[in-house]
Amino acid sequence: MPSSSPRRSRKPGELVLAAALVVPIVAIMGGLVFWPLATSVLDSFYRVDPMRPGTPFVGLANYSGLLADGNVQTAWLNTFAYVAMAVVLETIGGMGAALLLNRVKHGRQWLLAITVLPWCLPPVVNAIVWMWIFNPSYGLLNHALLWLGVIDARKVWFNDQATALFLVSLVHVWRMMPLTAVILLAALQSIPRDLYEAARLDGAGPIKSFRLVTLPLIAGGIAIALSQSTVFAFNLFDEAWILSGSSLDTRSVIIQVYLTAFQNLRFSSGMALSILAMIASLLVSLIYVLRVYRETRYD
Amino acid sequence: MKRRDFLVSALTLPLFASIAGNALAADTLTVLLPPWGTLPKEMTDRFATEAGVTLDAQTLGWDDIRTKIITSMVAGTAPADATEVDWSWVGQFGAAGWYEPLDGKIDQAVIDDIPTASIFRYDGKLLAVPYNNDFRILIYNKAHLDKAGIKAAPTTPDEMLAAAKAVKAAGIADYPIGLPLSSTEGASTAWYLLTKAFGGDLFDKDFKPLFTAKDSGGYKALAFEIGALKDGLIDPASTGLKDVEVQELFKAGKITFDVAGWAGNLALYSDPAKSQVSGDVAAALMPSVTGKSRTIGLPEAVGIPTGAANGKAAEAFIAWVTKPENEIAGYETLGNLPPRLSVLKMLNEQGKLKQGDVLLAQAAVVEPLIAQGTPGWYPQFSTAVASTINQAAKGQLSVDDAVAAIAKAAEDAQKD
Amino acid sequence: MRSLISTLPGRVGTVLAVILLVAWSLGPIYWSLVTSLTPPLHLLGAPSLWPHQITFEHYAKLFGATSLSQGNAVQSVWPQFSAALANSLITSVLATVVTVAIAAFGAYAFVRLEFPGRDLLFVAVVATLAIPAYTVMIPLYRLMISLKLIDTYTGITLIYVSAFLPLALWLMRSVYQAMPISLEEAAWLDGAGRVYTLVHIVLPLAAPGLIASAILTFLNAWGQFMVPLVFSPTLATKPLTVLIPEFVTRNYIDFGLMNAAGILAIIPPVLLVLFLNRYLVSGLMAGATK
Repeated sequence: MPSSSPRRSRKPGELVLAAALVVPIVAIMGGLVFWPLATSVLDSFYRVDPMRPGTPFVGLANYSGLLADGNVQTAWLNTFAYVAMAVVLETIGGMGAALLLNRVKHGRQWLLAITVLPWCLPPVVNAIVWMWIFNPSYGLLNHALLWLGVIDARKVWFNDQATALFLVSLVHVWRMMPLTAVILLAALQSIPRDLYEAARLDGAGPIKSFRLVTLPLIAGGIAIALSQSTVFAFNLFDEAWILSGSSLDTRSVIIQVYLTAFQNLRFSSGMALSILAMIASLLVSLIYVLRVYRETRYD
Repeated sequence: MKRRDFLVSALTLPLFASIAGNALAADTLTVLLPPWGTLPKEMTDRFATEAGVTLDAQTLGWDDIRTKIITSMVAGTAPADATEVDWSWVGQFGAAGWYEPLDGKIDQAVIDDIPTASIFRYDGKLLAVPYNNDFRILIYNKAHLDKAGIKAAPTTPDEMLAAAKAVKAAGIADYPIGLPLSSTEGASTAWYLLTKAFGGDLFDKDFKPLFTAKDSGGYKALAFEIGALKDGLIDPASTGLKDVEVQELFKAGKITFDVAGWAGNLALYSDPAKSQVSGDVAAALMPSVTGKSRTIGLPEAVGIPTGAANGKAAEAFIAWVTKPENEIAGYETLGNLPPRLSVLKMLNEQGKLKQGDVLLAQAAVVEPLIAQGTPGWYPQFSTAVASTINQAAKGQLSVDDAVAAIAKAAEDAQKD
Repeated sequence: MRSLISTLPGRVGTVLAVILLVAWSLGPIYWSLVTSLTPPLHLLGAPSLWPHQITFEHYAKLFGATSLSQGNAVQSVWPQFSAALANSLITSVLATVVTVAIAAFGAYAFVRLEFPGRDLLFVAVVATLAIPAYTVMIPLYRLMISLKLIDTYTGITLIYVSAFLPLALWLMRSVYQAMPISLEEAAWLDGAGRVYTLVHIVLPLAAPGLIASAILTFLNAWGQFMVPLVFSPTLATKPLTVLIPEFVTRNYIDFGLMNAAGILAIIPPVLLVLFLNRYLVSGLMAGATK
């Protein structure tokens, strides 16, 4: 039985159909993403600073300036901390939520709706709700922990950098975890049920069948989920900005981009930093995607 | 023009022709202001009829207006025909040549009546006209002082410390001094104000820092803040509080002194619907070590961006906003303190100004933060100031290290 | 009986996990609801799980014509709020429909059809996920002005589609890849054309993926802030996410009003998810019959 597509003789209509299906993608992505991106990349080799006359070509000066800047280095370290915490927590939590949703029989649609709720709250409101929860004097967190006896005096949470980074990540994870859950749930739902039956007949327990059946079949979904949580964590802005402003303890790379380009008006320097952020998040995502695809190639 | 030519050629897109980007008919006037600059529709309708234009009022949150203006201007189009201009943007927007000079377009007598207008001059040219007067004044809770047995408002920083200690000792307020120490602009401006209270200035005429020596106003001001924090006179939670949040605490009666009080807030604090201390709020001249009170003005204005499609109507709008009756309406409906001295006096005579006599006395000594005008590097400097003060308040930097870090930030910001 | 006992720990575990998930997701939203019902003057006090005194004044400010709050006339923000709500819905729905349609057909081409540069194009499109909004904002603004698409639904929709297409495309591609080709081949043998097979056989089977893509796109569009901030200057297209921060007035953060607006802003996406979820679940049945 001929199965793989490359061996089928290519019908002349196929290319036309492919073109018809792909042209909208090329047009939209080319015009609205690649073109503007190319412009910004080009700008990053010039000195575009509205406050100074002329826009001389400066080569890599914008980039080398960024390497020497202590604030930028701090922002990178903070961002890597955000990415590590966000990706781990979102993946574990999102996988747990997806497995649970896949298992629950009654009221599943309500549980799914509840799970995605955090994502529906406008980001500004989200950050403000958490700001109140973390408020040292009137916040729920201090009151709850005092009541439980975990702490014996009110804490000013953001005075400690590690705690501040964790709390900012937590707010981000709270909002973004549903994304991972929805992606993984869709992947779980595409697994034919008879595969589990077969695994069970072979004597596989729940853990073994998860490892042998579920994981390989949702590997694609996991790669997507990991990449999107990485990318969103690299782009973290609102949570840190609303919870603690431009503080160096929590400043992310994108906050630094905003400050450089839109506050200090060193426009091309800001563009250069945003391009570096893009490259970094691509590289990190690439690691997972390649690993996941390589290790689960089972056909 | 060269800058834009580059952007265009880099793009190879013939876009610059569309400088009138709003693509609106010439009889539409677009105005971009924050919520408190957006006058009631009945009023603006009257203007629209008088001026024969359709008014398209665009409102954006405060933090977002600047992003919007910069995006549009860098892209080579005016964001609107008239926009918000904050005092802190003047150096940048002036250096970039983004705003039309208004000299000769607005009645000189009106400009002379607005003391804060000088803050909006760049290179001698008037870039915007204030619609909202803001300067700092000491706002305090009189009932707290009465209970602590203090008869008069403090006139020096030391008296304020002593009063705060008495209030705390009497158990009236846990943290009597309200001061934002978060990494936001409010923390920077509070320190600038205290620098003046201690008789200092930020920079000399060559923009060399004047706050590093131990006997300088700036050093003493920061030492005052950190000392008060360590003595438990300032809430340790202030490291996470913005100015508006400190104001909420004042309204709830939790603090005695709103040190960096906004003059315009007196009306709000006195409003029983919005404040729990409406009967107890009082104002005093900013304390000073020199015997002469000093304060800074931080006003907001309207200007016309270069390339505005309907500059003529925008001029008419600005002139209309500065009319006494409209400034009064702005005060009554939006709480914007009128920028015109004559209007302030008129309101005070009518008894409509809360703490009017103190307000007028303080208004008379308002000075710009930086005498030579706001430089283009001010926003970068001020962000560094805020994050450094925040670090010092968290105990990560000593006062000496902090002022050194701020001086270095000033140098870096000026470097290129 | 034996099976009941053996599954009991599992059931208890499931119930505990459900409770945990519900508490995690709803806790902060419940807190937002409580804040929206608390009188402004009571916000600075010890937090309590239910406000001592409930007020609807924040909702009244959103809905009512002019309402009275402690003796003061409060201006209604309903005209602005309803316009922004409609804008949020229209742009999010348009973006979702267009994105899912393009992704559903496009991803099929990336999996089942052969054309030059196929894999390269796919990788390039997916890689754009990593581009920060600030990187492309200003050139994009210039482009939108030249096309006269500022403050139009078309402009906003196009930008959303370009931003959310990569994720949807990737998701749909992985769904098609997991699908056995035998079903399609059977249809071809019966003489069905490519397009017919795609629409009548492949798409129904891909329902869970399509619904998940729709949910992802809709919610991503619903939460957008930077794009509409720059590209939607007026209430002609301005969405809720840009309107709500305007409730931070100069000298007063209206926490109650912001939270009330946030609570109302949750409702439409939740209704949509509840509605779409039926199909996400029915996708399971389709999968089981394979």
